[in-house]
Amino acid sequence: MIRHLFTLVWNRKRSNLLIAVEVLLSFIVLSAVTTFAVFYADNYRKPLGFDVDRIWVISAEAHASAGRTSMTVESDGSDKAAAATQADRERIDRRAMMAQLLLALRDLPEVESVAAAAVTPYGGNTWTSDIEIGGRHHRFGMSAGTDDFARTMGLEMLRGRWFTREDDGSAWRPVVVNERVARELFPAKDPVGQFIVEDRQGHAAANPADRMRIVGVIREYRKDGEYAAPENFVFDRVRLDDTRADVADARDIVIRVRPGTTAAFEERAVAVLRNAAPEWTFQAEALSQSRDTALQYWLAPLTAAAVVSLFLLVMVAMGLSGVLWLHVTQRTREVGLRRAKGATAVDIRRQLVGEVVVLTAIATTVGLAILVQFPILEVFSAVSPFVYGVSLAISLVCIYALTMACAWTPARMASVIQPADALRYE
Amino acid sequence: MLKNYLLLAWRVLLRRRFFTAISLFGISLTLVVLMVATALLDHTFAPMAPEVRQDRTLVIFNGTLVGPHSTWRDGAGFQLIDRYARNLSNVERVAMISFPEDVFSYPGGTRVQSSLRRSDAEYWRILDFEFLEGGPFADQDVRNGSRVAVINAATRDRFFGAAPAVGRWIDADGQRFRVVGVVANVSASRPVSTGDIFVPYTTAKTDAYKTRLLGGFMGILLGRSPADLPGIKAEFASRVASAPMPDKDYEHLYAPAETYFESVAADTFGQRNDDTTRAERLWIAIVGAALLFLLLPTVNLVNLNVSRIMERASEIGVRKAFGASTGTLVTQFIVENVMLTLLGGAIGFVLSAVALKAITAAELIEHARLAINGRVFLYGLGLSLVFGLLSGVYPAWRMARLNPVAALKGVGR
Repeated sequence: MIRHLFTLVWNRKRSNLLIAVEVLLSFIVLSAVTTFAVFYADNYRKPLGFDVDRIWVISAEAHASAGRTSMTVESDGSDKAAAATQADRERIDRRAMMAQLLLALRDLPEVESVAAAAVTPYGGNTWTSDIEIGGRHHRFGMSAGTDDFARTMGLEMLRGRWFTREDDGSAWRPVVVNERVARELFPAKDPVGQFIVEDRQGHAAANPADRMRIVGVIREYRKDGEYAAPENFVFDRVRLDDTRADVADARDIVIRVRPGTTAAFEERAVAVLRNAAPEWTFQAEALSQSRDTALQYWLAPLTAAAVVSLFLLVMVAMGLSGVLWLHVTQRTREVGLRRAKGATAVDIRRQLVGEVVVLTAIATTVGLAILVQFPILEVFSAVSPFVYGVSLAISLVCIYALTMACAWTPARMASVIQPADALRYE
Repeated sequence: MLKNYLLLAWRVLLRRRFFTAISLFGISLTLVVLMVATALLDHTFAPMAPEVRQDRTLVIFNGTLVGPHSTWRDGAGFQLIDRYARNLSNVERVAMISFPEDVFSYPGGTRVQSSLRRSDAEYWRILDFEFLEGGPFADQDVRNGSRVAVINAATRDRFFGAAPAVGRWIDADGQRFRVVGVVANVSASRPVSTGDIFVPYTTAKTDAYKTRLLGGFMGILLGRSPADLPGIKAEFASRVASAPMPDKDYEHLYAPAETYFESVAADTFGQRNDDTTRAERLWIAIVGAALLFLLLPTVNLVNLNVSRIMERASEIGVRKAFGASTGTLVTQFIVENVMLTLLGGAIGFVLSAVALKAITAAELIEHARLAINGRVFLYGLGLSLVFGLLSGVYPAWRMARLNPVAALKGVGR
């Protein structure tokens, strides 16, 4: 029976080709949309790593500018010796002022704890570091925080500790990593106290103070939010009294407030800051609000893709109906002959739906062959095979449901053809 | 005769309701997408209050300094506009306005985020804002750096509720301003005229902007007539080309005076450094995208139409045998098709209006009031007709070739 259906489909390959291509195209787009959706849903379940409620982030910019415009400055590092010391002075002043601002905020009654950080959640900023360790390439998301950062953000410490004054005199660069990094780099031993040695450092007499040593492990820090894929994350320590250029700079102030604090707190906090640094510009936002805005941005492309997918599915419905209608019209004699030889109405219906299923199967097999390349070649390494599998299954079900629904009416039309009517024209 | 055609077409379409429904669904969805896209393009680029003099306005959005090792691209600076954009021939007025800046205020304990812009007094004479209360600030205010502001209706509502705002004070980014005028909201998709709070540029927190060649502003040039624009462009370009460099790292300065459409085209197709515009490319890209988009629905509709004809092969055979000319049959078919597409188009219009209302309500673009105006309606009508004709030609040709004898005998293709 199946082979027969294949033959029937092949006989009309010219008119079936367009439909097959449309089914293929909409299957691919639908798979992309469902993969996105399942990916987001899967990520949503995973731990965020920090608290969102009762936290405010205030970004501080040192000079008020006439307006925010896009500025691209590319330079090959031509000498600017005089400018360098000017930059040094500005940096020292900035850090000293930041320390003062933190002190000023600590005095407010609503404030439970305050810290400064480089990359805060939902901020849209990214700082990554690519390192070679033992010949393998690793990419880490980076951030930096003061000693109070873990307490302020509610980070979950799994092992070791966050930064403290103990690290002041250390001969290395203390770092805190997330569980993923610990598992990847030190699967068998206790990561606390281990050095992360970059390949290029192993050789020449590199500055030993640059070597990273793990002092603690946190569960997670998904700075881009609930929909982002989990990544490797490393925290540097921020020391506001450190004047060196290559130490991390912190431009965001994070505040944890006591339960019961209202939104009116924001105005007071900003007023305190403006009082202490009138020429600076401050932008304050509750982290829950940043989250809502950021999640909306994450969903926007998905919504757009879903609209495109819907459109393509409607096109498939249109095309398929047209082709099937034509088939039914042109094959009345064939149907009539079959009925005369004893086929029932149900048989005729089954045959037509069977042909449609075969056509869809050909198109989706080609589609699967294309789509399965993505997990195999690890094009999007963040997406797990499980996510791919689930989304492909959903897309297949949708496509088959659509094509079979479109075949319903033409099949019914074919099944009511009377043998006498059909054979009349012979 | 036309009435007969219409009646026949109506009966035919009703006969196979399922397929008619699917055709209508497909056509209307296609047209909804095209109409919404057209409405968005119209909303962004076509002349609209307060940019009523758009046909004789040029804007200097940005400038680029290029050197052998470095490139610096930024908004136009105060120096660029003040030194090189004044006293051009055939230019009636020159204005400047800063790029929007997000500022926060805390009226009555709630947080308000506003888009702040700093302009001069000429700005209000080039753009034709609708003042709901009061009026713009004057040259005097700009000279003195008075802390006055013009706010939009949305800002008035956020700060004062529905009460009149002129004479009251608002606080933005730590500075206090007295409201002198309230204007109607302008959509965020119009970069030249959108904004929540407008203040004189002399109220900026630091004076640093005065020394900068690039950064922070847009320069607006109002020509005497649309025909003067090319001349103004060329003259400004030649002045900019001979401007002295601020830094030994840079050798050339490029700062085009252009329309918003040209600016978007330049950004899309990567033109920064020469004077030819990319506007034609953007047009072709838009039209090309529309046609490409129409391709799939047209092919599907053609398929559906061919099926519809072939089902009635015997009827067509009989009519031909009785002497109906090809012309009559083709005309009848075209009427059927155009009726179907216009009906789909009408549904599409209704659905687009709903979709545009939904987009406006969802505030995807702040302060935008999207609707189907006369221009968009005509485009939509034109698209429906094009669509109907395109999808009717091939099936009509197939019908004309039908052999009456074969059709009557029921021999399929």
